[in-house]
Amino acid sequence: MTPVADPCQPDAASAAPAAPTAGSSRYFVVLAGRSGVFYDMGGPAFPMVIKVTGGHAQVEAVGIYAASGRPAFGPVPAAVYREFMKESRRASDVVLRLEIDAAQYERSARILRTWDRRAREGALLYPEIAMDNILLAKQVTEGLNQCKEHLTLYTLDWGLEDQISEATPPSTIPFKYFKELRRLNESRHVPDASFPARHY
Amino acid sequence: MNRRELFSNFRPVWVPDEPIASCGSELYPNAVLQTHDGRSVRFYDDLLKGKQVVINMMYANCESLCSTVTSSLVKVHDALKARMGRDLHMYSISIKPEEDTPAALKSFAEMHNALLPGWTFLTGDAYDIDTIRFRLFRMNHIKLDTDLNSHTAMLRIINETTNTWTCVPPLASLYTVLQHISWADPPKSLEERLEDNKRLQQQIDKEVRQYGYRKIV
Repeated sequence: MTPVADPCQPDAASAAPAAPTAGSSRYFVVLAGRSGVFYDMGGPAFPMVIKVTGGHAQVEAVGIYAASGRPAFGPVPAAVYREFMKESRRASDVVLRLEIDAAQYERSARILRTWDRRAREGALLYPEIAMDNILLAKQVTEGLNQCKEHLTLYTLDWGLEDQISEATPPSTIPFKYFKELRRLNESRHVPDASFPARHY
Repeated sequence: MNRRELFSNFRPVWVPDEPIASCGSELYPNAVLQTHDGRSVRFYDDLLKGKQVVINMMYANCESLCSTVTSSLVKVHDALKARMGRDLHMYSISIKPEEDTPAALKSFAEMHNALLPGWTFLTGDAYDIDTIRFRLFRMNHIKLDTDLNSHTAMLRIINETTNTWTCVPPLASLYTVLQHISWADPPKSLEERLEDNKRLQQQIDKEVRQYGYRKIV
């Protein structure tokens, strides 16, 4: 029942410069995944949002990661997301990095924080964390296009045209979804050389 | 002795003395919601615990089926008004809590003649409403679960005391909806069941005399 802010404008709080250098902030969303880690061939798969201001990178990542060899859902530990700060050449890994604007960053970060809260409060929406992770991946990627078309989306809708959900168990859907998005958005992908947080 | 009397006189092998325990607040969120008259209530503690309830999702500015569903629920309420607010409760929860203030829900209820005893319209924080919606109405299909237009497709009927869940399309016939609600009624004693069976047999006998066969019952 709180008043709804315009989702296409950055929040006043985040848009206001927190420091004199805030004007130079750059924003990224990274879709990262790996297959073949868990018994069901699934693996870590999560979106992360990164705000780079000066030499400092603020990273938020929520999704599935490996905890003692088992899949866990929640805020991704830094040691895990750091593995995806640089591109991997392995076919079992996928990284899609997109530069976004402040409003997209706010929307994506808000989605991640809501899922972070759900994980902490035991309020996940599905009994199976793989389903929660698919929904999280869909919300973040589709949220990027909420105000204008920023990336070419794959329609993950369990419809007749959707080959990924038809032929893939839920645990590996985010990985294949990210792979397909990478293929569809190769020209928008930010390579290592242009990614300021690659050394983070 | 006819067949019905014969079988009715057997006590079932297993009759639970104690209902199976409800999952309680582990399953049901205990979020604070606002009623159409501005009261704050806890979803599990105040609305579900120890009660039999009928729940649907709606929103005040809905231009599709919400009005038809609410009109159907008015008929359900009328058919069960002796129980409403006593051992049976109806809750209509807004799926657009950002838009639906308690006043907007009250206005919607007034417009549909649904300001009735035992029927509460609820709104709250979007985070909590989503949690409740997925816990009660989830179909384990992301496309369907995230499509707010499909919110009118189901009435959830819960008897928290006996941990009984059932559901029915709200636009099914009044008879069907009432039948589904009755499936979540508290278990009856053997005497009450024998009495029910006796009444049913009398109706069947009457039909057989009238039509020559069992026609409606």
